[in-house]
Amino acid sequence: MLLSRKNRKPIKIADKQVKEWKYAVCGYCSTGCTLEVGLNAEGKPVASRGKGGAHVNQGKLCIKGIFEHELSESSGRGTQPLIRDKMYEDYQPTTWDYAFDHMASEFKRIQDKYGRDSVAVVSTGQLLTEEFYTLGKLVRGAIGTNNYDGNTTLCMASAVSGYKRSFGSDGPPGCYDDFENTHCLMAFGSNLPEQHPIIYWRLKEALEKRKFPLIVVDPRVTMMAQFADIHLAITPGTDLVLLNALAHVILQEGLQKQDYIDAHCNDFEAFKATVEKYDPTTASKICGIDEDMIRHVARIYANAPSAMSIWTMGINQSTHGSDGVCGINNLNLITGNIGIPGGTSLSITGQCNAMGTREWSSCSGLPGYRALEKEEHREEIGKFWGVDPEFFPKKRGLQQTDIFPAIESGQIKALWIVATNPLTSMPNQPRIKKALEKLEFMVVQDGYKDCETTHYAHMYLPAAVWGEKEGVQTNTERRVNIVRQFVNPPGEAKPDWWIFNQLAKRFENGQKIHFPESTSEIFDEMKVLSKGEKRTLDISGMSHDLIEQNNGLQWPMREGQEVGDQRLYADGVFQTPSGKANLLAMEYVENNEVPDNQFPFWLNSGRVVEHFHTRTKTGKLGNLNKFSPTPYMEINPDAAKDLGINSMQYVRLVSKRGDAVVMAQLTHRVPRDMVFIPMHYHDCVNRLSLGLLDPYSRQPAFKQCAVRIEHVDQAEAAKLNVERRAY
Amino acid sequence: MWQVRDDEPTYAFLSDKETEEVNYYEAPIDLIARSGGEAPVDREMFINDEPGVGCNPNRNKQHAFHFTADNCIGCHACEAACSEKNDNPAHISFRSVGYVEGGTFPDFTRMNISMACNHCDDPVCLKGCPTGAYTKHAEYGAVLQDPDTCFGCGYCTWVCPYNAPQLDPIQGQVSKCNMCVDRLEVGLKPACVSACLGNALNFGVVENTPENREQAKVQIPGFPDPNISKPNIRFQQTKKMPDEVKRTDGMPVKYHKQDDGSYRPVVDQKKGKDIFWNIKKLSSRENPLVIFTLSTQAALGAFFVTFLGTQLGVESLQALTNSVMYVPLLLVVLGLCGVGLLMSTMHLGKPLRFYRGFNNLRYSPVCREGLGVFVFMICVGMHMLSVLPNNALFQSMFQSVFGSELIAGGTLTAVANFFGALAIPAGAVGLYYMYRCYRIPARPFWNHSHTGFSFVGNSLILGGIVIAVLGVPALMLQNLALDSLLMISGVMMATGIISEGLGLLLHARDMNAAGNEGAASHYIQCTTFGKSYQARNVLTAVNLLAVIALLALGMSDVVGLIAWSVVALSAIAVALVGRALFYVLVVPTTMPGAFFWKNKDFEQHARDIGLADMPQVGVVPDAH
Repeated sequence: MLLSRKNRKPIKIADKQVKEWKYAVCGYCSTGCTLEVGLNAEGKPVASRGKGGAHVNQGKLCIKGIFEHELSESSGRGTQPLIRDKMYEDYQPTTWDYAFDHMASEFKRIQDKYGRDSVAVVSTGQLLTEEFYTLGKLVRGAIGTNNYDGNTTLCMASAVSGYKRSFGSDGPPGCYDDFENTHCLMAFGSNLPEQHPIIYWRLKEALEKRKFPLIVVDPRVTMMAQFADIHLAITPGTDLVLLNALAHVILQEGLQKQDYIDAHCNDFEAFKATVEKYDPTTASKICGIDEDMIRHVARIYANAPSAMSIWTMGINQSTHGSDGVCGINNLNLITGNIGIPGGTSLSITGQCNAMGTREWSSCSGLPGYRALEKEEHREEIGKFWGVDPEFFPKKRGLQQTDIFPAIESGQIKALWIVATNPLTSMPNQPRIKKALEKLEFMVVQDGYKDCETTHYAHMYLPAAVWGEKEGVQTNTERRVNIVRQFVNPPGEAKPDWWIFNQLAKRFENGQKIHFPESTSEIFDEMKVLSKGEKRTLDISGMSHDLIEQNNGLQWPMREGQEVGDQRLYADGVFQTPSGKANLLAMEYVENNEVPDNQFPFWLNSGRVVEHFHTRTKTGKLGNLNKFSPTPYMEINPDAAKDLGINSMQYVRLVSKRGDAVVMAQLTHRVPRDMVFIPMHYHDCVNRLSLGLLDPYSRQPAFKQCAVRIEHVDQAEAAKLNVERRAY
Repeated sequence: MWQVRDDEPTYAFLSDKETEEVNYYEAPIDLIARSGGEAPVDREMFINDEPGVGCNPNRNKQHAFHFTADNCIGCHACEAACSEKNDNPAHISFRSVGYVEGGTFPDFTRMNISMACNHCDDPVCLKGCPTGAYTKHAEYGAVLQDPDTCFGCGYCTWVCPYNAPQLDPIQGQVSKCNMCVDRLEVGLKPACVSACLGNALNFGVVENTPENREQAKVQIPGFPDPNISKPNIRFQQTKKMPDEVKRTDGMPVKYHKQDDGSYRPVVDQKKGKDIFWNIKKLSSRENPLVIFTLSTQAALGAFFVTFLGTQLGVESLQALTNSVMYVPLLLVVLGLCGVGLLMSTMHLGKPLRFYRGFNNLRYSPVCREGLGVFVFMICVGMHMLSVLPNNALFQSMFQSVFGSELIAGGTLTAVANFFGALAIPAGAVGLYYMYRCYRIPARPFWNHSHTGFSFVGNSLILGGIVIAVLGVPALMLQNLALDSLLMISGVMMATGIISEGLGLLLHARDMNAAGNEGAASHYIQCTTFGKSYQARNVLTAVNLLAVIALLALGMSDVVGLIAWSVVALSAIAVALVGRALFYVLVVPTTMPGAFFWKNKDFEQHARDIGLADMPQVGVVPDAH
């Protein structure tokens, strides 16, 4: 009882009887945390813990990682291939052999009839790098369609495009250690506590050791914005104006590092002439941040001994996403903040292996950051694979966001979806649905047979997911890390690389090309391809075992190096023909759908920490899902009062595309003319979103469109809410 | 023993190099000293029956969480790490994060609060628990609960101001934060602390301010009065908060800054000012307790007045006692108590463990209440057996069965009086501790004299009705006048109604002025249940007037009896509605919730519409 000698009750504490811990890099976001999955005597995954010695997370995990072992028993997994003739029929089980034969013959039939590019492949950022490489080989080398892309177009395309335009190549130049070295950090549209909690922790640790200014640009008062020294509540979609204005102040006041610019940058004069027009007074009228603040921030940033910028979807998912990235790069180039400790342009990436697909999937070209547009690259890869280089297109084909309109217009007749759920994730869902109905043949390959896109497919292939196969992923700071297999896939589900290998055998070229039978062999093949002088993406010094021993290794890591380079461009040499970085002169074009009388609210969207993407994983785990089990929106209480909306009331949002019913949460996190909706729910935010495309990256502007709010019958709305919650 | 990993990060290790002598409440931090030397040093904890003493040098010192409210990002990592380690299903969480927020965009502040058990110096859970499932250990000062002892009454969840004990309706038992004493034994901080990503949560010997921190305050906005239980949690909160901060959950409470900088709860009129009946919502999980308290009080009132009245020589009561109806009256008293106890037993998560309800007589009012009522029943039972031989009906039955006349001796009367007299203090103890059960500081709506006025009042009202229902036939059988008995019954009812009414008036006055959650309860009473509340108040007054009128008119003919019956039924209805309101209205001093998680309104909504049927929603559906 109370501190007494007697009457102590026995103490029982859950003991999961872990017998073995297996090494894995996390399968959710791109932070790249190393964790250990605990298996009990029966080999069942029962526990997860962050690996103590891991560079990235140093033993920490976010909520999703903490429960990641539960995924191996979650519901909705596919256990056998399914097939049907028509979309309105029920699926029937089939064999892998029949599935592959049918798939290959359908692709060939459609290609023969409508042309090679009438088959499209949309992949993901969820596979292992070896699988991306294999898929690229299959699509570029054997199937031969040029309409091949990943869902990374929805999240990282603008970063890729911006890096390429500024530095001549993709690849984030910085690393997490930069937090410990920087003297100023500016975050654009990046809500680390919610999206990348471990990166936030690294930042917080750095701030507690040595305080430096934290500036956050976000239209919402996120936790990150609240903790910032300066919060710039920007008008949605106007980041380029702010960035040009910051450059304007820096140049006008002579705060730039002219030596660095002269030695390492192209096109300074054109850049200067353009930013000349973006004086703070003019800019403040567009971006909603007052001119004094613009000057103040520019001075802090430029005067810091080193300064860094991070950004996420607030920049990328915009009609000028690529320009925004280049604007950030401009800022860091003119202040000499590229490739130095604490000075960088660090795009905080999205999916666990978004980097892997960027590097090796051949979506945007050929493997290892090679381009279809370059003859020497086509020759090199053709020779390496044993394929006639003429088989490759000479220019990149359609991106994901252009593939769906091409289906709509009838150019594409067959679609193969690998580990992505466009029915939930693509903007303007009504248009996507209509397009998918026009396909002659559609295959969904996914770990989850209940992902909404399967409703529109003719064939479903059950794939292994995280922990059911072995291979590598690359994180935000270019760290390649490995996930070991710790459990078998359910039923007949198979690793994606195996599926690609089997399908390849059904194509003429596929029989000629060598497809290795294990991921470590595939990795060895990639290593050979990664070698090359002046290549940044060099992994030739790595191996699966070495990666595990080091808790992940950063590229470039050339043969003979003990560890990889922490930063790119430390020598000031860039991947452009001239070796210099490009300063880009970019005009702001106002093309967003902005609120008006009919649709008076901005619609903003984003993530919540407990969910990942379209909830196919996290919606099924109660200890995650319970924190936001149904769709909701944040609305300003003053606006709610005007409209007569109470907390927890269902409302209907209407845009020019469609409608969505959500629950109202009243909070001053959002301004009076904006609502915020988490992006994860099916039949929700993307029934409303417009998704205008960035001209360079083709990434949709998810976060900028206009809606109005209407009252709904509460009982009907509640019924709808339940009906739409399969998980 | 918990295994420390080879690559265990340094932040996971406890690091209390020096400690204070006494805590904020001036109790020794050394728990051996605090126990007066009763608890031995180096005692094995036998976690999961494993022997051995941990290596932690401070294991006999009171430990505490330290929470830097400025830093919490609401990422749920602490909650997740806790649930992962303790293997908890979605609907149970030993630790929860909620928040308060205030200000106007963009000058807006949200403050997240992560809260688990505070392993209090004065553990109200331990003191309240009737089964003795709780132990405050001399090791770390951990307040641990044994689910295998618990019978799921949920009383600890009522008294805890922080919502720390978790009642699992599926398992029918409570479980709670165990301070990760297995980790502490090997020098590691609890799982939640090691998992914190905002550098908000920390842990160590109480009153120690962690590295890089400057405060160890005992309170922050949204946190209940620490004087209730002397919690072992300390806070840092240096950033200024808006003058008024609100909760996002459905609780109609917000917090207002006072002159001294602290925040006090005030009513947040979230539900508007419209008034409703909401009769259906009066039915709650606590329905068995509505029945238990009312029926027990009826039994006590009826027996007390009948027995004492008889002893004091009230003629009509003596006539009742001597009549053939006295045994049925005692049976009704026993039956009411029996039904009550049965109801309260069925209310338990594990009814078959009811016998554990007397394990904590030293501290728990629940134990004493139960024991009082139980002893009362035994005494009344013995009393009834002793008066049975005097009962005419029983005598005739005896004669017809055994063929001989039953001679009841004077000894039996003495025995009957002895047990009857003993039943009085037993019943009084039961009633008093029934009242004490609800004097819970964490539930300000109950923690008021009106609870006492109501319990006594209902004993009189309902007891009076019981006496009349059995006494009237008794007297009629003997062809005696009913006036006197009806007078007694009527006076009981009138006194009871006055008592109840006085309680209601005082309660309304105090709750309107209260700076606590009681005011919020009263606000719900006046809005969500506004019409039911008004009707109940009006009926109370009408009943009183009717009783007085009937008494004045002295009506005891058929019309009079009908009129009395109507008033009695009306009084019973008022009692039921009043007691139901008592249970559904209480707003505990819990921590603020989030929009979905720990939001009672969302939980109710999820149950109402069927979302709760999906386990991943984290809400348990209603059992019925």
